[in-house]
Amino acid sequence: MNSLTVYLVVGAVLFSLGLFGVLMRRNLIGMLISIELMLNGANLNFMAFNRFLAPEPAVGQIVTLFVMGIAAAEAAIGLSIILALFRYLHSINVERARRLEG
Amino acid sequence: MMKWTLFTPELFYVAMAAVFFVGSLQRRVDSRRLYRWAVALAGVGLVVSVACTRLEGFLFFDSYKVDLFSQFFKVLIALGTFFVILVCSELHGIDPRKHAEFYFLLAVCTLAMMMLVSAVELLTIYIALELSSYSLYLMVPMRHRADRYVESGIKYFMVGATASAMMIFGLSYLFGMTHTTYVAEMVRVLPGLLHQPAAVVGLVLTLAGFFFKQALFPFHIWAPDVYQGAANQVTTYIATASKMAAAAMVIRFVGLTTGQSEALIQLLVVLSVLSMTFGNLVAIIQKDIKRLLAYSSIAHAGYMLIGILCMTQRGYASAVYYAMAYLIMNFACFMVVIKVADDGHNLQIKELAGLHKRSPLLAMTLMLALFGLAGIPPTLGFTGKFLVFAAALEKGYLLLVIIGMINATISLYYYLIVIKAAYLLEPVREYPPVRVDTWTRILSIVLVIAMIYVGIFPDRFVALSEAAVAVLP
Repeated sequence: MNSLTVYLVVGAVLFSLGLFGVLMRRNLIGMLISIELMLNGANLNFMAFNRFLAPEPAVGQIVTLFVMGIAAAEAAIGLSIILALFRYLHSINVERARRLEG
Repeated sequence: MMKWTLFTPELFYVAMAAVFFVGSLQRRVDSRRLYRWAVALAGVGLVVSVACTRLEGFLFFDSYKVDLFSQFFKVLIALGTFFVILVCSELHGIDPRKHAEFYFLLAVCTLAMMMLVSAVELLTIYIALELSSYSLYLMVPMRHRADRYVESGIKYFMVGATASAMMIFGLSYLFGMTHTTYVAEMVRVLPGLLHQPAAVVGLVLTLAGFFFKQALFPFHIWAPDVYQGAANQVTTYIATASKMAAAAMVIRFVGLTTGQSEALIQLLVVLSVLSMTFGNLVAIIQKDIKRLLAYSSIAHAGYMLIGILCMTQRGYASAVYYAMAYLIMNFACFMVVIKVADDGHNLQIKELAGLHKRSPLLAMTLMLALFGLAGIPPTLGFTGKFLVFAAALEKGYLLLVIIGMINATISLYYYLIVIKAAYLLEPVREYPPVRVDTWTRILSIVLVIAMIYVGIFPDRFVALSEAAVAVLP
């Protein structure tokens, strides 16, 4: 097993854990953290591919930097919506937010 | 310096966003004046986008491609934005103090979607997609005096963020397999790699991000709640303009495989069938017209996918035509909904009762638009479905076409329920009269003429969509 595979497996595990968390957690902050975990799995992939395979050594790193920045913006928007919901429900549990059945 | 002219439509929307940003800083703003500004700017934006249709070239280290395909979709997006802003005259769904912010987010979202259809580099695509999503995430919970609908905002955000995380993970595999982030280079390398599972997984996960925007089957869960929970104008924007960019990107990414991957085609067929069937069956029981249109949009994403999964020039052209038809028909429906519910509440189907007496013009617009969505000649919806099914038959997908036909028949049932309410039912109680101002009247007449004219003489528009997809790699 070469070292690229190790990184890819870790990345896939991070991503799967995040996806599992989004589907199973009932706490909105927990779901937000799980989404960050998925993004980090993708980041790890980009860095690993960049280190072992890419002819251009900077591309993957730049992508990773951008994804980190975007993740921060996403967290800010997510938290602001969660805050608005908290003012109404006094809870961040999604079980309480099910008036609209999709 | 000449190169910057290629970027004119986007620069215009940057300027428009700047105007409303300054507007949002003012302590007191007159919402009538903001509305007039918005209409004027969006109108100029549409003219600018049309004027830039024939431009061609590359920008920003080749990560940004301006061609007929992207410019055609930019015109559709600008048209959708212009339509949505036109019906904002009674913007009761949004707090008057936040009108400037609403227009600001609308301009930013339009800008981001225009960048999205031109982007041909993975990172650019991802950033443009995120920028457009973020504006929508914020617009959905902005609804005035409707705290109970905040939860639709959080649902939209969670589903959207998950879909975009899946997309960036898929992009990382595509990057790893092809060692490049440029779409043009990927088209050369990727078809040879499709026997490897990682490439297919990467492509499917990437498509997930766009399927979310299109509300295709596994990513549709947000659609009914968000359509219901967002202010009427925001729903209109999500249902019309934002679908265009998603359709363009699905066409671009499915085109990457050049029809080499059987597994991907089968997956798309399954998604398309599930999306059509699920959307149409659930739409039947809806009472709220915005929810009904949400489920119908899920079904229409399925129809559009039939054209795309043919992976032929004709298939893509039919999907582009279908997207254009869908923009016009769906907007016509939403315009009627907004005008009938002019205080911004959620319209129930039974409230449409007796619409043909209260406002014959709106009733006729609604009827034609719904006939178009159901695919009845001579409206443009019929031509769209015809082209999509013809493209699929050419590739020999007979079963898929039959399922599509059955679904079109099912959909006719619930569209007819709405038409019956507007034309045959007597109102059980007195509803306030529908106020139709001159602008709405002109807009309705334009929409009616467009729906019939494009339906009867589709040649020029079909030729236009074929020319647009001809430039795809």
